[in-house]
Amino acid sequence: MTNASITLAVPSQKGRPALELFRVRHIPDSVESRPSSAVVAEPTSINPPGSKRYYFLLMAPAILVLAFISIYPFFWMIYMSLHDVDIGKVEWNNFANYLKLPSDTRFIMGWALLVQYSAMCLFLQIVIGVFLAVALNGSRFEKVLVTTLLMPMMMAPLVAGMVWYFLYNGTFGWYHWLLQSLGILGPKSILASANTAMIGIVLVDVWQWTPLITLITLAGLKRVPQDQLEANMVDGASPVRNFMSVTLPNLYPVLLIAIMLRFMDNFRFTDSILVLTGGGPGNATKILPVYLFEVSFKFFKLGRGAAIAFILLIVTIILGMLLVRVFERGQPKKG
Amino acid sequence: MASREVIEYETGVSKAFNVFAAVFIAFYVVWTVLPIFIMFMSSFKDLLEAFKLPEVGDWAGVKVFFEFTPTTKHYYELFANLGFSTYLFNSLVAAGGSAVVSVVLGSMCAYSLSRIDFRGKKDLFFWIISTRMAPVVAVMVPLYWIFRELELVGTLPGLILAYTTFNLPFAIWILKGFFDNVPYAIEEAQMVDGATRLQAFRAILPLVAPGIGAFVVLCILFAWNDYLFAAIIGSGGAKTLPAATRELVQPQNIQWGQIMAAGVVTTLPMMFLGLVIRKYLVTGLTMGAVKE
Amino acid sequence: MFSIPKNAVYKRVSRRKFLELGGGAASALGVGSMTLGLGSTITRSPVQAASSEDAKWKQYAGSKLVFMSENTPPSFAIRDNIKAFTDLTGIEVTILTDDLPVVQQKVGIDLRGGKADYVLNYVQDKPIGAPFGEFYTDMTPLFGDSTLPQDPDGYGDDAWFENFLSACGRFYTEGKIVALPYDCAVACTFYRQDLFEANSKDFEAEYGYRLEFNKDSTWQNVIDMAAFFKKAKEAGKDVPYGYAQHQGSFAWTTQLDIQRFLFANGRWMDWNIDDVYGSKDPGKTNWGDDSSIAMLTKFKELADVCHPDNLANGTLELNTVYQAGNIAMQTQYHEFAASIEDEKTSRAAGGKTAYAPCPKGDAKWIKNGGEAVNGTNCGIGGIGINGNASEDLKRAAYIFAIWSVSRDNQFNVLKGLGGTPTRKSVLEIEEVKKAQQRPTTMPNALTFDAVYNYGIKNPNFVLGPKIPNANEYHSILAAEVQKCLSNEQSPEEAAKSIQGQLDELNGAG
Repeated sequence: MTNASITLAVPSQKGRPALELFRVRHIPDSVESRPSSAVVAEPTSINPPGSKRYYFLLMAPAILVLAFISIYPFFWMIYMSLHDVDIGKVEWNNFANYLKLPSDTRFIMGWALLVQYSAMCLFLQIVIGVFLAVALNGSRFEKVLVTTLLMPMMMAPLVAGMVWYFLYNGTFGWYHWLLQSLGILGPKSILASANTAMIGIVLVDVWQWTPLITLITLAGLKRVPQDQLEANMVDGASPVRNFMSVTLPNLYPVLLIAIMLRFMDNFRFTDSILVLTGGGPGNATKILPVYLFEVSFKFFKLGRGAAIAFILLIVTIILGMLLVRVFERGQPKKG
Repeated sequence: MASREVIEYETGVSKAFNVFAAVFIAFYVVWTVLPIFIMFMSSFKDLLEAFKLPEVGDWAGVKVFFEFTPTTKHYYELFANLGFSTYLFNSLVAAGGSAVVSVVLGSMCAYSLSRIDFRGKKDLFFWIISTRMAPVVAVMVPLYWIFRELELVGTLPGLILAYTTFNLPFAIWILKGFFDNVPYAIEEAQMVDGATRLQAFRAILPLVAPGIGAFVVLCILFAWNDYLFAAIIGSGGAKTLPAATRELVQPQNIQWGQIMAAGVVTTLPMMFLGLVIRKYLVTGLTMGAVKE
Repeated sequence: MFSIPKNAVYKRVSRRKFLELGGGAASALGVGSMTLGLGSTITRSPVQAASSEDAKWKQYAGSKLVFMSENTPPSFAIRDNIKAFTDLTGIEVTILTDDLPVVQQKVGIDLRGGKADYVLNYVQDKPIGAPFGEFYTDMTPLFGDSTLPQDPDGYGDDAWFENFLSACGRFYTEGKIVALPYDCAVACTFYRQDLFEANSKDFEAEYGYRLEFNKDSTWQNVIDMAAFFKKAKEAGKDVPYGYAQHQGSFAWTTQLDIQRFLFANGRWMDWNIDDVYGSKDPGKTNWGDDSSIAMLTKFKELADVCHPDNLANGTLELNTVYQAGNIAMQTQYHEFAASIEDEKTSRAAGGKTAYAPCPKGDAKWIKNGGEAVNGTNCGIGGIGINGNASEDLKRAAYIFAIWSVSRDNQFNVLKGLGGTPTRKSVLEIEEVKKAQQRPTTMPNALTFDAVYNYGIKNPNFVLGPKIPNANEYHSILAAEVQKCLSNEQSPEEAAKSIQGQLDELNGAG
């Protein structure tokens, strides 16, 4: 199977568009369907004659629905963030919701913890995921094993949180027993200490999402130029050096995308943390989205919540722009 | 495949690597499967049996994990008394409905975006995808308000629309890639033969159908696994499985057996679906950036 | 902001505009049999004061109401028996149950949105009542309304246990009553009689007094007992840990756990405000004073001899630990007795557990000159009526509210899933009196003596603090004390940090 490949906005290789790299059976080459990053190729022949009205009409329902469920709430959120919306009154409050944030230690810590959490998750996921992919690549059992590894990703984060809570539990948790028996942990369970709770929630994310990195890396590995590897080896390069100088640079663009996607997912999903620690003990795992949830839905400080949400959203959008840019010129570097 | 033989020449280092890799893979598979296995087994245990643990360091004691009389009472309880059949139905309708709505609207939009060019198209496209990236917690309060104005809170249509907030941009983004790869010439040929534009659109749908099918499944997966929307917008008349599972944490008793059983009920269908669309999974989860 | 929608952006967009804006698609989805809207509906047949009782009960026959409640036994029991109410009144009630934090979210948005999706609400005193009390209907005019059915036991303060009506029904003012006591959770001590007896000799040899627990046992005794069990356990003896605190992720119960301890020692309170009605402007907090630092030091001392999972176990999880037989004693809410006495789920069942009031303060520790008491606190869940509802809707909801808290209904819940009565008259029922002794068919009744005859009485009972920022206060307190217990900061630093944050929170800095 040499046709499996990554197509990252490869503009045109050897005179043909990127779609050559991907093949789907049953469908003749000329009309093959292929999922592809949207910003990819914009075929030149595409602009059809005739009015655009028809296409805009087709587009309209989706755009309207999206506008309705995204732009409208967005402006509403900005409005709230600029007002004091505490019980019973709506008052313009001269940006107080924003101005108070720099001195709100939980807000600042929330960012620090979010970055720390994401960095720990990503570091472990990349190291384990890439190694796993290299080890699995070309193995006889690749298919079976990869399929097995997929399972955690299919689990609802909330359920994952509850299962891991059960495993970590100091009273009846098997993982707690295991960690204790191995001498890694004392009688105190992993979520019961401010020092280890962060590791506890990181492990859950690692368990669930390392397979994604492995899958992405595997896809990347398939398109590492074999001839170059061979040539290097004939020249006496060690496998390790080969990996560093040829394989890794080829993986770099896909890994970058994986990192950004995971990073943004950490902004989006807090289900498992809400179940596992609720941000505790002592705010040790109160990453920003968890704090935001608390401010909006526990304290009902909707103005402050909206201000935090707005900042979080802006940062997400900036990250999203970077991500799209990576998509656009994510052409693999030649090693 | 010839190239592979060249790589697999054996040195001490590569041998050691292979052994280490095999051990690591074995370890990793266990690490991956174990929580699911424990969840599965615990769903058949009585509360007190699920609490059994050997002494610290007593490795032989692991056998107590297997010493129990299997009971299906938790499953029975879920479906007979706790209304899980309704929640299962809600999950199916909400996830399925949003997937269908997203893919239908999404394919129309994606097709058009793929076929025409206009000023600001890039910005429009970025806006579409940015709505998918928005943190759920951040948009929840305003969204809740709007939904209630329309009396959609606590209803399945409301939940379907809520899931559409993240599934529709996803569908547009992915499906545009599909349509980009269907040459316009095919439609042109159809229209020369006298088909209308709409008929031409319909004619190319079969070409992208397998992909579309896979992304319907992915949309189902995303919606099915959601908790926050389900808890805040859906709960009440449209409680889904994850929200109902969370509710089993009751003041009087944490029903671990039932929670594990509910976990199995929530997870198994998705694992099955994940296998079915295995081929498209990476594409979907990386928003089209990476393909296998 | 929700309550003043006139000048808000979203209101300028009329419903018609909404539909044009794309709501059309949404509404299109809304039709069809799937719609399970939350709306309550009203149908009414007018009655007069002279009408028959039956006519008064049935005046809203055909109406539909929605009740948003916590997932506690009374709600389940009432849901199971809702037919009895429908038969009586012809009103259909949908009871939605959720985890308290979720109930809080939904109820909060509903009330502040000026809506009445949930006509009837579970008004848990501090988490829901303190921030939202003003949004509920004042029930006092309805109490005397002769065109409504009324409970023969009445709704005066004497009809309920001491202070219960005020706890869940009165917020910041005496005149308004916004909820009737629906269920309650009062703290008391659960301990393993069997283990206490078995280890009494060893304990006495070491500490010079008998290992037993009663209403005079102090927090110092609890520290001794916890230390004793911990030491024995770590020496390899077949005993569980001694004690554990509620220091898990649910901030409110964490706050209650801390409050009990501080109140016991000199009736210390967070603010100098009225404990019963609360205050919207509590002013400067007492945190940071000598008492608070000294007590927090003792609280930390206790934490150090607790079950090692102290910081992971909230109230529910702690109860599981006790059920699993892994601690010998816990301070717990009396509604949990039913789960402890259930042989199928608990190793502490079958007469092994005994119940007593909360531990007493230790006179030697007290710095503020106050009294040592058996500091007991509570969560009194009321049933309240959404103030945004229409007049008729309120009246129909009132009929359900008084029915749900009636003596007979509370007795039924107690017999069934294990309720927690709020009406005094329930305890006067012969069967309930008998049930307070083993063997019993109503396990919660085993706690009634400790709770109703002792814990909730003056001077042991602490109700507040009721402040509008209650939930954020709970969260701040929980986080800082947890940091102290996990050695990240000293008790003094914690107390000062709490002081700073609370004063900032209430604008009293």
